[in-house]
Amino acid sequence: MKMTGNVINGGTVQGEAVVLGVPFSFVGDFDPETGALLIEDNGLYGKSIADKILVCTTGKGGTVAPFIAYQAKQARTAPAAIICETAGEMLSESAILIDIPLIEGLEKSRLKMIKQGQEVSIKDGTVQVE
Amino acid sequence: MHLTDTEKKMAAGGYGTGVARCMEILVKFGEAFEAEKMVKIASAHIMPLGPPQLLEEMTQGVKEPAVLTTIHPYMSAFDPFCHKEMGIPEAFADQELSECRQRMEVYRHLGFYQTYTCLPMLVGNLPRKGQFVSWVGSSAQLIVNSLIGARCNRDAVVALASAITGRTPYRGLLLDENRYANVLVRFSDVDPARLSATQLSAVGYFLGEKVGNRNVVIEGMPENTPIEQLKTLIAPLAVTGAVGICHMVGLSPEAPTLDAALGYRKPEDEISVGKKEIEDCLAQYAGTSDSVDMVLFGCPHCTVSDIKRLAVELMDKKIDDQKRLWIGMPHQQYVLAKKMGYTQCLEKAGAVISNACMAMVPAMPIPEGVRHLATSSFKAAHYISKLTAGKVDVQIQSMKTCIEAITGHQRKGKVQ
Repeated sequence: MKMTGNVINGGTVQGEAVVLGVPFSFVGDFDPETGALLIEDNGLYGKSIADKILVCTTGKGGTVAPFIAYQAKQARTAPAAIICETAGEMLSESAILIDIPLIEGLEKSRLKMIKQGQEVSIKDGTVQVE
Repeated sequence: MHLTDTEKKMAAGGYGTGVARCMEILVKFGEAFEAEKMVKIASAHIMPLGPPQLLEEMTQGVKEPAVLTTIHPYMSAFDPFCHKEMGIPEAFADQELSECRQRMEVYRHLGFYQTYTCLPMLVGNLPRKGQFVSWVGSSAQLIVNSLIGARCNRDAVVALASAITGRTPYRGLLLDENRYANVLVRFSDVDPARLSATQLSAVGYFLGEKVGNRNVVIEGMPENTPIEQLKTLIAPLAVTGAVGICHMVGLSPEAPTLDAALGYRKPEDEISVGKKEIEDCLAQYAGTSDSVDMVLFGCPHCTVSDIKRLAVELMDKKIDDQKRLWIGMPHQQYVLAKKMGYTQCLEKAGAVISNACMAMVPAMPIPEGVRHLATSSFKAAHYISKLTAGKVDVQIQSMKTCIEAITGHQRKGKVQ
């Protein structure tokens, strides 16, 4: 299955999907030291998103977020890519700063087709699910 | 995105690798948000945060920022000049100090003004109506858009990139058509002139939740409302919501009339706020204890007038042993308050005045033994509750009640 969205930051990656049904911020929802999620959704509290493809509804959070993302990149705990419905400024700044693919503009119904743990590949704004 | 020849040269590395890195971030960000071009900015305000490598990466080969640039408060409550007096645990201080010093060295060397405040307009960074700026800090952004009439988006690393290049993508609240109000707010059964700072903070907290990221216009604020009340009212709009501009009819440069603020259109929503809404917000932070270990003021940072009021309240009082009072304010206003004798009064009572942010306070810097904390600011209460994840119980009280909670003595003297 293929779907396309708007490319906020480009790149080609492949990885395992971690699917959140809620908005995500690098501040508060994520531990940059371990890569673990700090939000309780889909039973994912504590699950590492390091090198994974993070799927979330929207970006959120304050202006500290991109700095945390940079810290995560240094600690090698950052996700490999992010796919969402609407990224917003802080998630966009974060992905651009640490240069990971960020694809937005995928409708909720499309995002729901990506299942937990599925292998996902991203290339030029096209998301392919196995 | 259209770039001028100079901007193209910046992106291509003609002005060094730091400028090129900054321009790369700005172009990618601008294209993501469909900006047609870059515009020149009048000033920048940046966050003293993040690994020093990031700062080095973005300032490599840079002699000075392209525009006047000021700095936001110390984050995580870590003020390198008074962390001991604040009672911040040594292990946390040791962890923070090295990176903090490295950043300060870069700022000093490059000429970023080390203001360490969320109110840069009070310490020399004062743009004019219609100018573009790139500032961090949601309160600073709200004030600059709503009360000064200069134009600013919600920027973070983009603000640093804009400081270095003097450019920012022309988008969002920089454009006329995105600055009109969508939501009209009126007061119902309360007189805004008679609301305390804490009650005004509750109004902002309530409104943020209701309006999300839309533009707001408030009708009914008295024209002579001081900045101390206004900053308290609008800061929480970016806490429960993500509001970037809040016009106040008769006070805001772009709101001489309600019609002008609305762009001569009908509001898409009208909200009324009164006693019930204020009480409901206060009830969310009622606290679980009558006894308080620590009080915190200065979110947003205190002005010299705020400090005067606190000094009057604390005159001839002493903060109880084992209890603490932290106050956040810009150093430059501290100097003025000291000249007036206000700071001595507070420090004699046992308060610590810092340039740190009083909202982004995680559990680590909070002194040992502090379980119950009181503040008059909804913004501070909201973030400290979240960041300490239940380890600290936060309640909201009026400034007077906060002070009574940490001073056993009755007031003896009178300030002149």
